[in-house]
Amino acid sequence: MIALLALALLLLALLGAPLFAVIAAVAMLGLQAAGYDLTIVAAEFFRITEMPVLIAIPLFTIAGYLLGESRAPKRLVRLSDALFGWLPGGLAIVALVICALFTAFTGATGVTIVALGAVLYPALRHARYPEPFSLGLVTTSGSLGLLFAPSLPLIIYAVVAQQLVSDPAVRVEDLFLAGLLPGLMMIAMLAAYSAWVARGIDRPAVRFDASEARAAIWDARWELPLPVLVLGGIYGGLIAPSEAAAVTALYVALVVLVLRREVSFGEFPRIARESMLLVGAILMILGVALALTNWLLDAEVPARLFEWIRARIDSRLVFLLVLNLFLLVFGMLLEGLPAIMILVPLVLPIALGYGIHPVHFGIMFLANLQVGFFMPPLGMNLFVASHRFDKPVLAVIAACWPFFLIQLAAVLLITYWPDLSLVLVR
Amino acid sequence: MIRAAARGFFRALARLEDWLVAGLTAALVLLAGAQIVARLVFDSGWGSLEPALRAMVLWIALLGAMIASREDRHLAIDALSRFLGGGAARAVRAIVYLGAAGVTALLAWYSLALVRTEYESATIAFAHVPAWAIEAMMPFAFAAMTLRFVIHAFLPPRPESAPITPAAP
Repeated sequence: MIALLALALLLLALLGAPLFAVIAAVAMLGLQAAGYDLTIVAAEFFRITEMPVLIAIPLFTIAGYLLGESRAPKRLVRLSDALFGWLPGGLAIVALVICALFTAFTGATGVTIVALGAVLYPALRHARYPEPFSLGLVTTSGSLGLLFAPSLPLIIYAVVAQQLVSDPAVRVEDLFLAGLLPGLMMIAMLAAYSAWVARGIDRPAVRFDASEARAAIWDARWELPLPVLVLGGIYGGLIAPSEAAAVTALYVALVVLVLRREVSFGEFPRIARESMLLVGAILMILGVALALTNWLLDAEVPARLFEWIRARIDSRLVFLLVLNLFLLVFGMLLEGLPAIMILVPLVLPIALGYGIHPVHFGIMFLANLQVGFFMPPLGMNLFVASHRFDKPVLAVIAACWPFFLIQLAAVLLITYWPDLSLVLVR
Repeated sequence: MIRAAARGFFRALARLEDWLVAGLTAALVLLAGAQIVARLVFDSGWGSLEPALRAMVLWIALLGAMIASREDRHLAIDALSRFLGGGAARAVRAIVYLGAAGVTALLAWYSLALVRTEYESATIAFAHVPAWAIEAMMPFAFAAMTLRFVIHAFLPPRPESAPITPAAP
């Protein structure tokens, strides 16, 4: 009976039912069967108001959307072109860096392809990069940047993990720090590949222009303090993540609405509404996922899963490999944030049982999801790119293969080299 | 007649949601920013502001979710329905959204129960604001989402935006 219901709910989810409703249904069925009064679901949902760090989510999101609506992305293109454009594969590297920054601030994958692909894809084609390379690069870049502060997946992972582990503590600050080197490594690997592809393209030699670089830096003078504000404030121990979000949002609003006036006050309601729709969709899932976690722990599901797996796999390395496969497949099927809220309560306790550090696990989890996003045959970004660039899905898949393999190698490195994530945290 | 009234109701609700969410977002940015500036620069803060900000986040989340239901933009997997066509897709859509409506109806009912309990115990959330007043947004939001899901069950899906056609190199 329960198996039947579970199957029906899974089918509904795959058929496009809102995920929060499916999660709420599972939580309610489980808690009902365990004999609880279902008012507990509402009470768990209300716990959203008991987590100070959640204030960071609407604040970073509105800041990201305001920046996206301003001419900041254009200035960013100019700046990174001035700094990196002279390198072989310069434009491709520019595209990678910009997409990573954009995704870190907006957090929502898929959005990057839609928003930046329209600029970068034609630019790459114009610079005579081969068509499959350009298509693959833009599709891949759609999920790059997940590991950089202040991306929402890092914050959400910390929030969910905090429900499950208290020692060692999983602080948002730690994740922001831990994602830095693995994220840079992913970009460096893709940049090296881009430079290698670009060596065959014949183009006029571009030289580094110091005066253009200075002008571009001056042009971006109001945006440049932002990373310092966010990262410096948090890592310097001066302010908590939610406070960094508050400073960022206020600063961005001042720059965009008052100093630069690139967005008028009349446009603010539309942008606020658009960004808070995303926040609402995310927190709705988080709220019901809290109830689900409550039931999972009460029914000792993670403990039983651990027993079951432990009896079959005793090598930590094998477990990690199986975990990689599992996460890639789920990353392909689920969008990133729901995947975190559904899977972390199930899998993190098991990983802890194998002695994996929760911060390393978080980085590895997100790196897997990042690759799962455009993993053939069902990764969401493949379809987003196919739709946006009007190419058959099979063409997009063919274009993405080299990028996929590079990212996969990066994921394996991140998985089996914990110090890469943890060295900055310790 | 009923139709016109319903349409008027939903239009008014949509405007209320849009303005309330914009106002709360602006207030959140200003208050959260002012608080941290006050702490860093003047070394003082307002004790009861923090819980108020967290309550605003709940309301913003619920309003955002109401708008997401209105525009059929909740996060979903949707891996199979793109392979369905015509009548089958319609039938599946009706089942999926009526199911979602059932869930939100239950959520509305149990949040109402929570509000009642808190009302009787008269818990104070912050300053003089009782907890039930903050929670009262939950049954309201879930009820609105239920109505929207019922409507969406019988409407065609939201059209996707047009593809980009890149200029020839």
